[in-house]
Amino acid sequence: MKGIAHYISGVMAASFCPWAVQAATEGNPLYFILGGAFGILPDTIDFKFYRFFYRHDFYVDPDAQNPDPQTIADELAAAVDKARSAGRPIRIKLNTVRMGADYWRQYVVRFDSENQEVQVRIGPVVNTGQVPVPNSEPKDRAVGRAKLSAPIIQTYDATTRVDIFDGPTFAFEADAQGRVMLHFLPWHRNWSHSFLVAAFWGLLGWLLWNWQAAVVIVAGYSAHLLEDQLGFMGSNLFFPITKKRFMGLHIMRSGDAIPNFSAVWLSCLLIFWNLYRLTPGLRYHFNFLHLIVYGAIFPIGLFGVVHWLLTRGDKGREAPIELEDEFGDTMTT
Amino acid sequence: MILNILTVLGVTVLGTVLSSVISVLPALHAYNVLGALVLLFYWLIEKGLTVPSEVFLPFMAGIVVGWSMLNTIPSILLGAPDESAMFTVLPGQKYLMSGRGYEGTMITGVGGLAGVFFLVCVVGPFAPRVLPVVQGVLRSHMHWILWVIITYILMSEWPKGGNWGPAGLAKFADAWRSLGAGLATFFLSGFLGFILLYRSPVSVEMAFQNIMPAFVGLFAIPWCLLNMISGANVPPQRIAHSLEINGDLILRSAAAGGLGGGFAAFFPVVTGGIGGLLAGHATAQRDEKVFIMSQGVSKLVYYVGSFTLLFVPGLGITRGGAAWMMKGLYVPRSYYDYFMVLGSIAIAGAAAFLMMSPLTRMTIRFIEKVNYRNASAIALLIILGIVFLMTGWGGIIVMVVATGIGLIPVLFASRRLNCLGVLLLPIACNMSGFGQKIAMWLRLI
Repeated sequence: MKGIAHYISGVMAASFCPWAVQAATEGNPLYFILGGAFGILPDTIDFKFYRFFYRHDFYVDPDAQNPDPQTIADELAAAVDKARSAGRPIRIKLNTVRMGADYWRQYVVRFDSENQEVQVRIGPVVNTGQVPVPNSEPKDRAVGRAKLSAPIIQTYDATTRVDIFDGPTFAFEADAQGRVMLHFLPWHRNWSHSFLVAAFWGLLGWLLWNWQAAVVIVAGYSAHLLEDQLGFMGSNLFFPITKKRFMGLHIMRSGDAIPNFSAVWLSCLLIFWNLYRLTPGLRYHFNFLHLIVYGAIFPIGLFGVVHWLLTRGDKGREAPIELEDEFGDTMTT
Repeated sequence: MILNILTVLGVTVLGTVLSSVISVLPALHAYNVLGALVLLFYWLIEKGLTVPSEVFLPFMAGIVVGWSMLNTIPSILLGAPDESAMFTVLPGQKYLMSGRGYEGTMITGVGGLAGVFFLVCVVGPFAPRVLPVVQGVLRSHMHWILWVIITYILMSEWPKGGNWGPAGLAKFADAWRSLGAGLATFFLSGFLGFILLYRSPVSVEMAFQNIMPAFVGLFAIPWCLLNMISGANVPPQRIAHSLEINGDLILRSAAAGGLGGGFAAFFPVVTGGIGGLLAGHATAQRDEKVFIMSQGVSKLVYYVGSFTLLFVPGLGITRGGAAWMMKGLYVPRSYYDYFMVLGSIAIAGAAAFLMMSPLTRMTIRFIEKVNYRNASAIALLIILGIVFLMTGWGGIIVMVVATGIGLIPVLFASRRLNCLGVLLLPIACNMSGFGQKIAMWLRLI
């Protein structure tokens, strides 16, 4: 999920603690700040600290002027081969291709388990908002393919887009059956995304403040881990006891607008409800059903109806069904 | 009755037309002009002349609505943005540099119009029933909400560097250069805010303009300086015949911008820029047009919404500079005032949108005739003149210091929103009850 969804979930978790609301009413914002900060902390650790110290065995650095998809595919295939012979995980980093202050050359990597090959396609130039620049696609169909020396087992998406800021990392790890496991972003959602690490932070909070702070910290941190588990990548939930990420539930993707907005909105409503029920002496009275009707069903329903009215005519003008994927292969429909 | 309606209509349009002049002058904020107007009204009252509410309420509403919508023109085309336009400026500047400045401006204008619709037709009818309940629950919790927002702003900035090269301290330092600059900007601006709050060099007579030189220094001047130093050449601008937007795009923008602007309008010290940031993250926006348009919505809902809150029957809160100035002059009493202001907002919104295209074309002609670097220099001179006229040498000193801080995010590619520490930090400390202790520790009192 997006940072704001994790953050507000942490604040929401804090709002369930009566002492947090009580302290806030008396002018002490500590528990809510802790809830939010620890709600976003697992990703902060990964993206602002750990990834800069994560070492790689190979770096793929495409030429900005003349990116060669075959070279990229060959380097990836070589990394897979090395993973088989080295007897340890091999980490490879795909660097992004910066074309200017706001422009990046996109390229797409796909591991095709069926044909045991890796495919790379050079895409358009995109801006930092990942919007393609018109007519910036390479003139030739720039696709590179390389055969892999072992069958590949994927735990995440088969296709990875490389475009803005920091490129992705893959870790290849050979197993006893001679296959190679592909781990996407091995530095992410690993040790930092563990309930035991949450407990460690809680212990630290207890030492620094009190047990109430510890509860808020563990609740905020754990809310993050549970939300992430709804996605595809999963997390290493019990590090250091476990060494690998548990598979996600595949219910949503981290960048999807609707689940993210729903999490934020629901958190806001629950915070509001908790403040209402834990604040004495209020003039107005309502129940949870009122809140849900006025706060969720009515506005979201109104948005849905207007959205439907505005887009219902588009059904007949939908884009033609794509019969080829990004690599020109025929897609089954 | 008909005379009243015609009066409201006339003065609303007059206020909106006046705002068009204010809007295209960089750094001149609607609140500066409203402050001067309020002083004029006080002077008239002293002389025994009373101005009816049917004149000054719609007039002020016209100025606030017109400015909120038309100020987009210099924000995008002249590059001297108001803080709340921070998020319009990036994609807006991109549009300008690809010859689509007119399109970018007009899309933001459509956003402003959608914001007017959102305020008048969606929020307006429900506000007297819903907002007093919300305010009743949140009244004693505003301070921590502000702290939670501050923490999010500081924790959500993304490292700009550290993308290439081997792992290690060098990579980490490269990434943290922009993040460190962001933190430094926030705390330095916060320190400046404490100084302005407790020991401002701006004279007491001009105290109502206390924060203006700081904002000009933090946001407007670094932009002008950057334009002048970089010497960017603005390409010829195309006048698009179609904005290529549809109802769904407007709906999504209105929802995101309305949420952000509404949040900023309702919570004290939270500005349109912050509301826009939060709404943008919450709705996971990717589409550039939705992004630009939602910032137009957010800006309008923030400025106009905060002004309107003063008139919501049964609510009793004052948010934003315009409402505070108005409150000293007139206390709204009934639904009559509320609906009159809502009506004025609708009229002003329509009038401002009609002025948007000709004013944008005029400004484009101006930047095509005058070298962009010279235009920035002229903007800078106007800014300096206005700051000096309004706040004297004290204001100039504040502005120079603020410029130094405002240049940090420009030079280190960090988030300019961190400059809002000037407001957020001292006020959050005061709301939580330890602002004075910090001021004493800083030896400001």
